[in-house]
Amino acid sequence: MNKRVLLGICAAISACAALPAAAADFPTPLPAETIPKVETLPQKYPNSWAFLNYAGDRIELRNVGSDSREVKGELQAHDSATLLVAEQRPELYVIDTVWSRGARGTRTDFITVYDKQTLNVAGEIVLPGGKRALITAMEGLTTFTDDQRMELVFNFTPASSVTVVDLVNRRVLGDVEIPGCSLVYPTGNRGFSTLCASGTLLSVRLDAAGAVAGRAESKAFNPLDTDPLFTASAMASGIRYFPSLHGRVQPIDMRGDEVKILADWPLVTPAEAAASWRPSGWQILASDESKLLYVLMQPDAHEGSHKDPATEVWIYNVATKSRIKRLRLARPGSSISLTHGTEPLLLVQAGERLDAYQPLEGNLVRSMDLPGFRSRMQIETLR
Amino acid sequence: MLRGLAGRTSRRSLLSILGSVLTGAATLPLLPVARAAGSDQPSPSDPNSGETPPQRTGNPQDPGDPTKCDYWRYCAIDGSLCSCYGGTMNSCPPGTEMSPITWIGTCRNPADNRNYIISYNDCCGGVPWGRCACQNNLGDRPVVRPQNNNEVTWCFGTQSQSYTCSTAIILGVAIDQK
Repeated sequence: MNKRVLLGICAAISACAALPAAAADFPTPLPAETIPKVETLPQKYPNSWAFLNYAGDRIELRNVGSDSREVKGELQAHDSATLLVAEQRPELYVIDTVWSRGARGTRTDFITVYDKQTLNVAGEIVLPGGKRALITAMEGLTTFTDDQRMELVFNFTPASSVTVVDLVNRRVLGDVEIPGCSLVYPTGNRGFSTLCASGTLLSVRLDAAGAVAGRAESKAFNPLDTDPLFTASAMASGIRYFPSLHGRVQPIDMRGDEVKILADWPLVTPAEAAASWRPSGWQILASDESKLLYVLMQPDAHEGSHKDPATEVWIYNVATKSRIKRLRLARPGSSISLTHGTEPLLLVQAGERLDAYQPLEGNLVRSMDLPGFRSRMQIETLR
Repeated sequence: MLRGLAGRTSRRSLLSILGSVLTGAATLPLLPVARAAGSDQPSPSDPNSGETPPQRTGNPQDPGDPTKCDYWRYCAIDGSLCSCYGGTMNSCPPGTEMSPITWIGTCRNPADNRNYIISYNDCCGGVPWGRCACQNNLGDRPVVRPQNNNEVTWCFGTQSQSYTCSTAIILGVAIDQK
């Protein structure tokens, strides 16, 4: 009987410790291990990691920049959960909704404050009124303002309002009614803008106590009947860009208290428009935050195809308002985001895969699995 | 709930008020009719839909399988089909509650070639498990006009706002036929 077969038999009868030949191969036994032991994360996450939000049902932290493909941690999420990652404090914030008896019972809307290193719960802020908007997790449902000291939560009952939360003292400050308007985008030092059903943008300035200090409404600029803006946006050089269903991009300067609606420009040439190239997908926009804008695009677009997976990503220089590259995707993608750092990766959720591209070279460098993915993904990259 | 909504919209323009009130007014389907009528483009069906044995309405004027995403009334549905949970295309499963407030679309019936106003009432408070999930977006628009958006959980005025599945109920024939 050779040694390998003997080892197998010994393993089966749990008698391996008595086998001198095996011990000779490994003179030092494995050390005793610590019980209990729980992993912790670095204080500052590498910018090659990203949070993946599975339509508000599940949030996981993944290492997308390495072939090790490690899941780094998971955060609880139940219904339309959305995540904010703080840079000023070592905290994460997840807004979520649960009912006391599963799908029935008392509804509770709440913000869970997580410690970034341990992912332990550091605190909780209960949002009153059961009015938080239950919409598939996406941009605009919540945002920081006031240098991340405040969090704003969009409510929809179907009356619209915004709850202002003090994250430093972990308490609700109050509500701002925004009838006829939807979603929140940070504006100025302390405030927000919201897109209104009359095609305007309402901008609200807040005081230090979270009360309304001023309101200003733009002229109508969002042609909701003919070519409405998507509600997904990306920032480049401080300007927020919203694409439209038919292929315009609308820049808005929300840096100051006085919001400026800038001149829109086309993402497509007349020939491309004739071929019905249009933006489409879910998280359809990404940027390098300085000059490059990435847009998911599909050909032969038609009524009802605006959330379909897109076949290409078109990359624009916002300074010259020109396209610099077309990237054909290996698989049609629905959500994109760009990692930060010196060698950014373009992350593309394509069905049950998360593909990572070197966007300017056009190389697909890795593809990760997304087990259990069903509908929509929001990708949060890290600075 | 509608009275409260009206009270809170008093400071906005008439157009905004109209938009908000229409959100809760499934019987005033003016905007979606103008928006979606006349579009015949097919919407993609979700592969998860093929999990149930075929069903029929039994009415030749209402053709198709109500457990499949490509049933004609589902042209703008985003959610799970109540037909797969013990309900039907126009009724909720036992143990759930139908939201009276919803959003509406317009779908063409291939049998009589009429455009019908469809109310996508959600059923709430039951057990969701992702069966027969469909994502059709004909006439869907960004949530800026919530009444035209299918990402919203339309469980309002119900004991629980927890989503279970979606129905597709005929409200009537669209007025502006093309």
